[in-house]
Amino acid sequence: MRQNRRTGSRFLIGLVFLFLYAPIALLIIFSFNEGDSSAVWRGFSLHWYQSMLHNRLIVESVYMTLLVSLLATLISTLAGTFAAIGLYSLPRRRRDALLTVNNIPMMNADIVTGVSLCLFFVAFFQLWGGFARWFNGVQSAVVLPTRLTLGLGTLLLAHIAFNIPYVILNVAPKLRQMDRNLMDAAQDLGCTWMQAFWKVMLPEIKPGIISGALIAFTMSIDDFVISYFTAGSSTSTLAMTIYGMTKRRVTPEINAVSTLLFLTVLVLLVIVNVGEIRQERRKNAPAARKEPIGERLRRFFATRTGRYVQWGLVAAAAVCFVVTVSFLTTETQSIPVVNVCSWGEYIDADLIDQFEAETGIRVNYQTAESNETMYSLLKSGGADYDVIVPSDYMIAQLIEEDMLSELNYDNIPNFALIDPRFRNLSYDPENKYTVPYTWSTLGIIYNPTMVDGPVTSWGALYDERNAGKVLLINNSRDAIGEALMYLGYSVNTTDESEIRAAYRVLDEASRRGVFQGKVMDEVFQTMEGGNAAIASYYAGDYLSMLENNEDLRYVIPEEGANWFVDAMCVLKDAPHMEEAEAWINFIASTEANLANMDYIRYASPNSEALEQYPAYYEELYGEEMPPELYDIMVTPPDVLARCEMYENTPPDTRALYNRLWIQLGI
Amino acid sequence: MSKELIRLQNLCMAYDGETILNNINLYINDKEFLTLLGPSGCGKTTTLRIIGGFTTPVSGDVFFDGVRINDVPPHKRQINTVFQKYALFPHLDVYENVAFGLRMQRVPNPNSRRGAKLSNEEIDRRVMEMLESVSLKGFERRRVDALSGGQQQRVAIARALVNRPKVLLLDEPLGALDLKLRKDMQIELKRIQQQVGITFIYVTHDQEEALTMSDTIVIMDKGNIQQIGTPEDIYNEPKNAFVADFIGESNIIDGVMVKDKVVKMYGRQFACLDGGFAENEPVDVVIRPEDIDIVPVEQGQLTGTVTNVTFKGMQYDIIVDFRGFKWLIQTTDHSPVGSKIGIKIDPDGIHVMKKSEYSGMFGDYSSFSDEYDELNGADEAREEQGNES
Repeated sequence: MRQNRRTGSRFLIGLVFLFLYAPIALLIIFSFNEGDSSAVWRGFSLHWYQSMLHNRLIVESVYMTLLVSLLATLISTLAGTFAAIGLYSLPRRRRDALLTVNNIPMMNADIVTGVSLCLFFVAFFQLWGGFARWFNGVQSAVVLPTRLTLGLGTLLLAHIAFNIPYVILNVAPKLRQMDRNLMDAAQDLGCTWMQAFWKVMLPEIKPGIISGALIAFTMSIDDFVISYFTAGSSTSTLAMTIYGMTKRRVTPEINAVSTLLFLTVLVLLVIVNVGEIRQERRKNAPAARKEPIGERLRRFFATRTGRYVQWGLVAAAAVCFVVTVSFLTTETQSIPVVNVCSWGEYIDADLIDQFEAETGIRVNYQTAESNETMYSLLKSGGADYDVIVPSDYMIAQLIEEDMLSELNYDNIPNFALIDPRFRNLSYDPENKYTVPYTWSTLGIIYNPTMVDGPVTSWGALYDERNAGKVLLINNSRDAIGEALMYLGYSVNTTDESEIRAAYRVLDEASRRGVFQGKVMDEVFQTMEGGNAAIASYYAGDYLSMLENNEDLRYVIPEEGANWFVDAMCVLKDAPHMEEAEAWINFIASTEANLANMDYIRYASPNSEALEQYPAYYEELYGEEMPPELYDIMVTPPDVLARCEMYENTPPDTRALYNRLWIQLGI
Repeated sequence: MSKELIRLQNLCMAYDGETILNNINLYINDKEFLTLLGPSGCGKTTTLRIIGGFTTPVSGDVFFDGVRINDVPPHKRQINTVFQKYALFPHLDVYENVAFGLRMQRVPNPNSRRGAKLSNEEIDRRVMEMLESVSLKGFERRRVDALSGGQQQRVAIARALVNRPKVLLLDEPLGALDLKLRKDMQIELKRIQQQVGITFIYVTHDQEEALTMSDTIVIMDKGNIQQIGTPEDIYNEPKNAFVADFIGESNIIDGVMVKDKVVKMYGRQFACLDGGFAENEPVDVVIRPEDIDIVPVEQGQLTGTVTNVTFKGMQYDIIVDFRGFKWLIQTTDHSPVGSKIGIKIDPDGIHVMKKSEYSGMFGDYSSFSDEYDELNGADEAREEQGNES
């Protein structure tokens, strides 16, 4: 009986740990997956760790994360320690009150901290802008920058701000344990206050400072929410990059990065805990025979070699510091920069290196999640991009709101290579603002092993026979657009009754349980793993899925489909106009288009690239490109003729879309 | 004695609107053992901290050897301190604790503006010498938290004295020790003071410690100096009821000075040795418990009833009720509770004091047991220290 109960409780504990750690274990295991799916195991490989190291987005954000975390830890440890010392010298009642205040930021929801810091910074920038304009107006000796944006500086300030309470929380108890007379005693024996601090107080509170710094570092390194709101558009920490990557699809590369992040934090926590345990043990056994490590280290440092090692460490720290500072200054001043915002996994990253090598311009490459999120980021004033790559309808909206800058096509000679079919499109009729980046179609992806007969109509998405096996695309424009096409209406209709009819199609299908769920990037895993039969998604992404599940088929339904263009444009008042045009020209080149086409599998608008791609493919992979795949990638003109492009709809219609979309639920 | 070393002039101190020191004037001679004695919160520790330089007075001046040192920081004063609970450096061993001050010292050197450090040999010689004189040889490499209270105490003294200060400040240094050890250390401290021949300024709330060791006792209460004098002066000629009560045991009775050398208590005239009061001036009369002789009732100047008897080894402490006012009498004769006794007081056993703000507050033994609680006051004093600053 007793035995039973023990096995029972062990089983429960096992279950709890399984629940806690199974996801992490899975993540670590799949980071070693040979294939690029997170659902299908294809054998062991370190491939993703390699590719992670070659992914400059990741490497740069790791660098940024370390830089911010280290600097924030350093500064907040200093500030927090001295703040704790200051608090400690206050009368008890006031000290306790202040310590309570100190605890609030730690308990506060990160999102509140993040948003409030963001608002605070933006408000400050506005005040500063007014002041700087006035100041520059009244004198001309010093020119102050009038336009400040969120970036490394604000990110660092935010991290320092949320780290300081943790440092104080760790240092304060050590101070409380310390005999109040120790500092007096040291000064009595000939120390100045500062000497007394170094010789007496510091050794006493050092364990608290170290654990405070480690916790601050841990907090900093894996913070996402606060960073997200304060980093602005041109700076990205590792956590933010991982988040951006998942928006496109979860590759094992992310698993590899996450594994490393998890291990880093784990190691830090172990160090903190071991330190605490050791301290505890020392306290319990004051006359311990064993020489503490600190003592041994001190003796070692007292020897000749030890002194060299010590100086070496100091020198290394100094070099790190200098490198950091020089990076920061070069980063912000001498090297020309262009800030690009695109979608995740939407460029062959080698192109960035190539561009930098050719032009000496540094590319600060960021990703946004969707047209809508990018739009709201631009509206909030928190972004300082030069080049963005929105989709057609969003471009129209941006032009309408006068947010784009006209391009000087003399600086973009490669624009001549753009196929006339992709110029002067409805979103930019006079082609003054844009250079197309890619184009593709939104069609149906299905798994023939799971449905009866070939799929040819949008109706399959709403067919009761496919109940529970359909994935609805999770954005209102596409989802309602598909139903409009099914009903034979234009995707750009502004007729409320037509739109409502389309909504009823979705609503009815939803009631009858046709939809398994609303998805964007989960579509990859679900379809690849054979867990859903039908979905609508983009042609380029279908080609990626095909590599992991050969059964999948893509079809442009008989009613027609949506085709879309993503185009590069430059924001109004972009600080790096010249660099932005250089970048656009580079990306518009045939070589760049071929590389991108191969990497992201979306069709290029460059006529040479379109023509040369099959040959390029053959050279690269040693086999001919299947013509049917080429036709899916580069939709033939006759099929494209059946497709319709989204146009910017009036605000009323947009509002109706939003209302219906929310009403639909699912 | 010898020449004046430290002078405190019109010293005032307040903290959070509360007066801690109220116009303190005091001079301290070279090589003197001076004790600041008083109950918790009387200002004695504050006075010590002002001399040490850890606290700046609100007003008033501190002179050292004739030079005003108000603005001299602690590390530049030729004064060292033995702190309450010792304040030894826990991260250093015994040797390094004692060597701490020496390692900070700089001797004038023509090659360096800051001065030269003491040589390691010199430091070693002085530390070892010091450890030997406090009987801690062989303990050099011990961790200080592995030492007993008495040993820690001696490390603290060695750490201060090794710097050869002109003045040593001691802040309740024996407060944390048990009674036996405390008695030993009292003698030890006095011996050390005579050996090194420097000024000791000693803070305590324990009157017995003060009487045993001091050349001069300064009794303080509520931020004021109540009396300055040798232990004998203070015991025999207390200035007011507070001093009389704080030093030793005292019965303090309301009286009227009829004329010089005659004082009236309980409606009866007693011969005494004091004079210089106005005629019929109300006064406080101090009668020490050991100065009272018990006699048969019919021979007594006063008669009372024994209400309590405590055996103390050398003597009995008996409480006697004289018309509602209870006296403490120390006697070698046993008188049972309830018995009526007579008492007789010699003229030199009577000490007459002027009335003061303390009149009527002390000297009645109605709540007998409370008086003895003061012996346990050490703990309270330590807590009070913790709450300060």
